[in-house]
Amino acid sequence: MTNLDASSSEVIFQPKPSLPPPPNTVGAIGWIRKNLFSSPLNAFLTILSLYVIWVVVSNTFEWAIVNAVWEANSRRECLDKVGLSGACWAGVSHWMKNFIYGRYPDEEVWRINLGFGTLILWMLPFWLPRVTSKIAIGASAILISPFLLGYLFAGGEKGLFLQVMVSVAITSFVFCWAHTVSSMVTGKSLWASIVQASGFAAKPEATQKYPVFAAFLVVFAVAFTWQSSWNITSQSTNLWGGLFVTLVISGIGIAVSLPAGIVLALGRRSKMPVIRVFCVSFIELFRSVPLITVLFMAVTMVPLFLPEAINPVKIVQAIIAVCIFSSAYMAETVRGGLQAIPKGQYEAAQALGLNYWKMMTLIVMPQALKLMIPNIVGSFIGLLKDTTLVSIVGLYDLLLMLKAVSQNPQWNGIHTEPLVFGASLYFVLCFIMSKYSQHLERTLGAGQVRK
Amino acid sequence: MAVVDRGASGQGSSFSVIVNDERYRSIFYQIIVFAAVMWAGWYLFTNTSENLEARGMSAGFDFLGSTAGFSIAFSIIPYEAGDSYLWVYLVGITNTLLLSFLAIVATTLLGFFIGILRLSKNWMVAQLASWYVEILRNTPLLLQILFWYLAVFAILPRPKQSLDVLGLEIFQLNNRGFYFPAPVPGELFWLTMVTLLISVIVAYGIAVWAKKRQNATGERFPAFWTAVGIIIGVPLLVFLATGSPLQWDIPLLKGFNFTGGSSVPPAFLAVFIALVIYHACFIAEMVRAGILSVSHGQTEASYSLGLKPGLTLRLVIIPQAMRAIVPPLISNWMNVVKNSSLAIAVGFPDLVAVFMQTSLNQSGHAIEIVAMVMFFYMTVSLTISGALNYYNKLVQLKER
Repeated sequence: MTNLDASSSEVIFQPKPSLPPPPNTVGAIGWIRKNLFSSPLNAFLTILSLYVIWVVVSNTFEWAIVNAVWEANSRRECLDKVGLSGACWAGVSHWMKNFIYGRYPDEEVWRINLGFGTLILWMLPFWLPRVTSKIAIGASAILISPFLLGYLFAGGEKGLFLQVMVSVAITSFVFCWAHTVSSMVTGKSLWASIVQASGFAAKPEATQKYPVFAAFLVVFAVAFTWQSSWNITSQSTNLWGGLFVTLVISGIGIAVSLPAGIVLALGRRSKMPVIRVFCVSFIELFRSVPLITVLFMAVTMVPLFLPEAINPVKIVQAIIAVCIFSSAYMAETVRGGLQAIPKGQYEAAQALGLNYWKMMTLIVMPQALKLMIPNIVGSFIGLLKDTTLVSIVGLYDLLLMLKAVSQNPQWNGIHTEPLVFGASLYFVLCFIMSKYSQHLERTLGAGQVRK
Repeated sequence: MAVVDRGASGQGSSFSVIVNDERYRSIFYQIIVFAAVMWAGWYLFTNTSENLEARGMSAGFDFLGSTAGFSIAFSIIPYEAGDSYLWVYLVGITNTLLLSFLAIVATTLLGFFIGILRLSKNWMVAQLASWYVEILRNTPLLLQILFWYLAVFAILPRPKQSLDVLGLEIFQLNNRGFYFPAPVPGELFWLTMVTLLISVIVAYGIAVWAKKRQNATGERFPAFWTAVGIIIGVPLLVFLATGSPLQWDIPLLKGFNFTGGSSVPPAFLAVFIALVIYHACFIAEMVRAGILSVSHGQTEASYSLGLKPGLTLRLVIIPQAMRAIVPPLISNWMNVVKNSSLAIAVGFPDLVAVFMQTSLNQSGHAIEIVAMVMFFYMTVSLTISGALNYYNKLVQLKER
């Protein structure tokens, strides 16, 4: 003890606290020195980029904001005020309704809003916490909602089949939301809630489905009587246009191309030679030609292929072309995912005794699709951009609507402003989609990251 | 009882053997699919022949010989309004190939440039390049083409007030198009071309020999600079010796328009520029991904072997990055060829515009024309993917 006391009184090495790093290597200044001015060449490049940014931003700002004309009744008015030095946004705001809804009558526009609103509400449970059975919700939104939306958009007389399908759609929508509310509030599925509320919880399991079916039938009956009282006028597809048509075509394209692409990709990797040959020729044919030739093919050859009695309207022809084309591309994307799954996964599934479809749906596809999310969303973005091509065969999608403004005598020759507006709209849509896919990739791929 | 049971189950199993046997089942499915496709084909075929009959039309390629009564605004092979539809097809193909070839060369150069900028250590430059990519690839190509055509080239001045590009008075830009000098070869110019061809072959031979010698002995030979010297120097000597037999036909303003020289219409420029800057985004991303895919260990290993940064880039990084870059790059070239068909939107007479639109409307032979156009694009696509597969075989990782 004494020894220790004695040694503690001696002078031992005490390191001084280390000095702070030189001030010009940390903080904002350090960052700037390191990333912007690390060498004379870098300094020059930085200044050059700043100059480029300044030229672009200042000119755009002056044209789009400072000198812009926001209110005018014709392009002549804009030109008299500022000439070409400022944007004539009046030409965009004056036509805004047409850019979004085409030539759909003003008093009927609520139908489009209602349709898209319903679809958004239908998909909303996807992003809500504690909601189960998301696949069923998504499938109902993709498979059943088109009947309701299509009827809302087109209107007119509806046959018995469409009446039933519209009622089914209303019923599924109600059930989706009832299920969402039930599972968010109580944590139980709608099925369990109904069984409990009806007092069937104690009864044998086989009879528990009856109250659920009864509830479904009641809602269906109410929906059926309600929808038969609807009386909405028929709107020709010639009046459809603008962003509305763009979203309809690309939405159907997306909804069709993913399942069709999965089927084609499985067919291409099938062991059955006949199926493989058909799938390969379909995929390779439509991937090697431009979309515009497929569109021309649909427009000129579909009327030849089908009997005179069935003559689909132009928008249906375009949708057929877009679906065929995007399915072929989606098939290759999905195939890439399938090939990335190691053979051990297939073998393990077979060793567990799963048959082909169970192996694919439970083991392989979930992994393959997760792996391919960035590419699949990339295809969707490509599809959204590619729908502009339908304007070449004369459909008034957003792009043709933007272009058509300049043919109006009042706004003769106004090109730049509508096109800039359209470009920003497309940019926002595509940019959000690509950022969302990156987000999905991060959240779903969390288990894949090696640290 | 036991005997009967066994007999019954034996009967059932011989039936279930067939039903559950994968081979029989797959044959059954294949027969069903084959029958369905054949039925669909037959259905379409009968409908088509009925419809054609009702319209009083006949199928067949005879129409290709008849004269096309329209003129074409731009063609690199001579064309007049009275030529046959077959010739129109060839005019369309040459126009499409010219546009795609020029666009592919330019977009590859621009794409590599932007891709390298995106990897720059300079934060500002990298940001600038990444915003270029984000903005342009998230906007539809067709919209960009229309923008260049309607908002930029449509407001160019008339020929009298032409923009003098580069200030040399030989390149003129106006609302009729871009005018540039055309070469007029003289009498003995073919000698220069033949020499050029021979010197390219000789230079290639030297390069092969130099590589062989380096592999065998380790001695290096400046094959690159020798090749440059041979390819430029020798033909130049021949050119001067034969008395410079090449003149330039410079465009001159006569009256309201330019005469002489060559020109391309504004529609060509609009499609060309839009294709180049749009596809450059995708190439830039491929270049970036390709270079990043080479692991940093390679760079460190190369430094530890004593290679300088320049040599490391040239001998270690780029060869490995190219393996990742080239396959998507070539399929992107394919996309340029396919997207050049959007020229139809601004009226540049490419294959789709002159053949699938104008000729189809005039002759009405939809099926034949659609088949011919698709055949052309499929041929190009198969050729390119064949070349790609050959390249892949050449460079793919050779593992032990």
